[in-house]
Amino acid sequence: MIERTNPLPAAADAAVISFTLNGEPVRLAVPPARRLIDVLRHDLLLTGTKIGCEIGRCGACMVLVDGRPVNACLTMMYQLEGRRVTTIEGLAGGAEALHAVQRAFLEEGGFQCGYCTPGMIVSAAALLAERPDPTDDEIVEALSGNLCRCTGYGGILRAVRRAVAIGREADGTG
Amino acid sequence: MILTRETAGGRWRIRPDGPGKVTGRLKYLTDLALPGMLHGVVLRSAHPHARIRAIRTERAAALPGVRAVLTHRDVPGLNAFGISRQDQPVFCSDRVRYVGDAVAAVAADTPEIAERALGLIEVDYEPLPVLDTPEKALSPDALKLHPHGNVLHRSEYRRGDVDAAFAECVHVVEETYVTPRQMHTYLETEGGLFVPEPDGRLTVYAPTQHGLLDRLQLARILGVPEEAIRVVSSPIGGSFGGKDELNIQPYGALLARATGRPVKIHHSRRESVRAGLKRHPMRITMKTGIDASGRLLAHRVRIVADTGPYATLGAEVLNFATEHVIGPYRYANLDVEGVSVYTNNGMSGEFRGFGGNQAIFALEGQMDRLAELAGIDPWEFRLINLRRMGDPGPFGQQIAQTDGAYQVWVKLKESPLWRERDSLKRAGEASASAQSGGAARPPWIRTGIGAAMVMHGFGLGYGIPDPAAGRLRLAEDGRIEAIFGYEEFGQGLFAAIEALMIDTFGIGPDDLRIVVGDTDRVPDSGSSTASRTTAMIWQALRRMEQPFRRKLLEAAARLTGRAAGGLTLAPGGVADAESGVLLIRYADLAAKAEETIGAQVHFHFPTTDLERIGAHFLYSYAAVAVKVEVNLLTGRVRVLDQYHAVAAGPVVNPMGYVGQIEGGSGMALGFALLEDAVMENGHYLTGNLDTYLIPTIADSRGTVAVEPVEELPEGDPYGPRGIGEIGSVGLAPAIAEAIHEATGVRVSRLPVDPALLIRRPEDLWKAVDGR
Ligand code: FES
Ligand code: FES
Repeated sequence: MIERTNPLPAAADAAVISFTLNGEPVRLAVPPARRLIDVLRHDLLLTGTKIGCEIGRCGACMVLVDGRPVNACLTMMYQLEGRRVTTIEGLAGGAEALHAVQRAFLEEGGFQCGYCTPGMIVSAAALLAERPDPTDDEIVEALSGNLCRCTGYGGILRAVRRAVAIGREADGTG
Repeated sequence: MILTRETAGGRWRIRPDGPGKVTGRLKYLTDLALPGMLHGVVLRSAHPHARIRAIRTERAAALPGVRAVLTHRDVPGLNAFGISRQDQPVFCSDRVRYVGDAVAAVAADTPEIAERALGLIEVDYEPLPVLDTPEKALSPDALKLHPHGNVLHRSEYRRGDVDAAFAECVHVVEETYVTPRQMHTYLETEGGLFVPEPDGRLTVYAPTQHGLLDRLQLARILGVPEEAIRVVSSPIGGSFGGKDELNIQPYGALLARATGRPVKIHHSRRESVRAGLKRHPMRITMKTGIDASGRLLAHRVRIVADTGPYATLGAEVLNFATEHVIGPYRYANLDVEGVSVYTNNGMSGEFRGFGGNQAIFALEGQMDRLAELAGIDPWEFRLINLRRMGDPGPFGQQIAQTDGAYQVWVKLKESPLWRERDSLKRAGEASASAQSGGAARPPWIRTGIGAAMVMHGFGLGYGIPDPAAGRLRLAEDGRIEAIFGYEEFGQGLFAAIEALMIDTFGIGPDDLRIVVGDTDRVPDSGSSTASRTTAMIWQALRRMEQPFRRKLLEAAARLTGRAAGGLTLAPGGVADAESGVLLIRYADLAAKAEETIGAQVHFHFPTTDLERIGAHFLYSYAAVAVKVEVNLLTGRVRVLDQYHAVAAGPVVNPMGYVGQIEGGSGMALGFALLEDAVMENGHYLTGNLDTYLIPTIADSRGTVAVEPVEELPEGDPYGPRGIGEIGSVGLAPAIAEAIHEATGVRVSRLPVDPALLIRRPEDLWKAVDGR
């Protein structure tokens, strides 16, 4: 179990929040309104989750809460009590393992600088968990909250389509 | 052949930096943290233009948790920076010239305390008139922003007598083109970690496009020798030119020196918008005339660039624009003048395309307008005037000869998209005269196809120090190290080096270690700008190939008792050339060799002999066609299909090549249709990504076909040309022409204003009914 106290001078309003982070139970004493993005990046040094706008527009900070994509920059700690949080670090479920979406991004070149990539992959993984065989419209819808400045999105679209194919092969339905 | 993963086959390799990026394990420099580190923030000017009467920091310094508050009084060395001329203060002392100007900086235990301290710094300003347009700044009674006035730079080029030539012209087109203040919008904002080392040195972990130049600039500011600073500058979460100049580095470095503790700075997006570079807004007026056969007789151009408060590379951008408003065509007479003007707007500076985007948008607009006037197909019209093999460059300078312009011209003409244009035009005429051409589209949706040519110089050009260097070394552990002073900001530097090393030496990817982005380890290879890195690495490897291979083989020959001539480099080690059997592993070779095996090279980027600063010797060429759909009810333009023919020599790294063209064209799409960092009275109205819109995936659903033309003339010694910028240039003018094809409306200002394209419904129904 990860047990940490926020390095901020313990604010009077600090509360203990219990949730699951990448499969591990966590108890943190933090101000309830502290943003998840700050807890991840500053307090826990989980920097796979990126930060690009802090207003919910770029998607670089995308994580899963109970399997659904949310912007960590808009999420406050009190909202996570009892929830399941998954970041890019926990997406594949093992240190060496790669999620099908991660593999597909590698193979198709769905990234360049890579800074949008964790958020993009988290959003795509959430989509495929819910709809293993999405249409292009559904892919575009699911990723329209994730900005990428490098790729022009061509490689990203191809990567998600490829992840769908990988999923089909794994199912033996392709 | 269209380049894709399938057509590239085995050369489509997984990027060496890929696994770290897709798993989130790769640490960007703004991800770094150290125990006990402080957080730095910068106080920016409250006014676009003001005198500073007093700065009081006592209350901020007294706040518990604040470890340092610095102002201009605390700069031990030069209180100024700038790649080309140092006219930007690190901290303003008596005057601020834009809203991003730094007045003070704070280091504190937490970001929250640091922010609070900023609010306690008191600055007395005396506001001055805001020069928020180049016109105001150029007026004779304007306040001088710098001792030498408000002109950063003028450029000109003349040949022949345009006035006389206009009198001869059968058709003349005159138009003014206006381009936006585009923001780089790298997803990772500026930041880094600054660490005082026990030996008294300072390590700077902060993205830049030229680590050694940052080191030089920081040494000047800190008043220390360059060796006292180490700059680690890769990986980078995007730059596009925007992190070429210093940004937060001076503040991080000064705060770390002042406190003796590691200091982290990471800009918020708002600060990034406020302080960071943008693409120069330009107003380009062109008057261009042709004779009856379509030959260009006269071309007059006036460029006014808003460079903002300080120089950075504003002069060089103007030089580039001056060259590229001439571009790939032959003219009988030319008259080009440009001026780059200091204002109190945001900083303009280096940005992918480097002034070519604005220039070529205007130039290609002229070509389309002239073709229409002359009644000639726009693509055929370009051919009449196109530079061919043997022609000099835009300034009449000697250039490396290729027939790239013609090669891409032909490719585009034969492309399916361009052929579709003919049938679309026929269908369009049919639907205008009768009930629609069979398409199930509502009548307010119009489609059109347009195209544009690009001739883009790469490298910094004549008269600008443009060194190149590289080093190869068999390291102690048996890895072959490829050491270059270039930076990885997403373009695929690692992938390019890996591909070239494997192709050159026949080694395996596991034999290789790539070393970049660390001034303690790399030679001065020049900057990672101007689309030059892949070309420079190729040329460096060509020079190092023979000596390095020979040394490896000779050492192996000594150790195995075989003749060097019968040996070859192979994955894992040195092998028998005939049988391919591995004879000695690189690790054993490294352990047993008597001396270090290595090679290195220093040279200068090839330049033209015309003595004109910035004139290029090497060019890449592209032809771009695009199909758009215009909704006449909303005025919205959707980009459907794109075709890019690119003549830039051999493809080094197919995945990177496709990515550069696709990614560049995504930026051009934003430049054409969406993006503008709007300023009013010297203040940004666009502050974050809610009001500054870059293309999303929904804007980018159309197809993009990339067709490289790899053939170079027999004996060409320069190899792959730059492709990092050219993809970001041609799409905007092609979109403008496609919009004209779709609607009949000519746009000359970007981003395209939808209001110009909206038609009243009654007009529409008339069009449908054939009235
Ligand atoms: S940082 Fe959260 S959406 Fe941009
Ligand atoms: S890969 Fe750089 S922002 Fe997407």
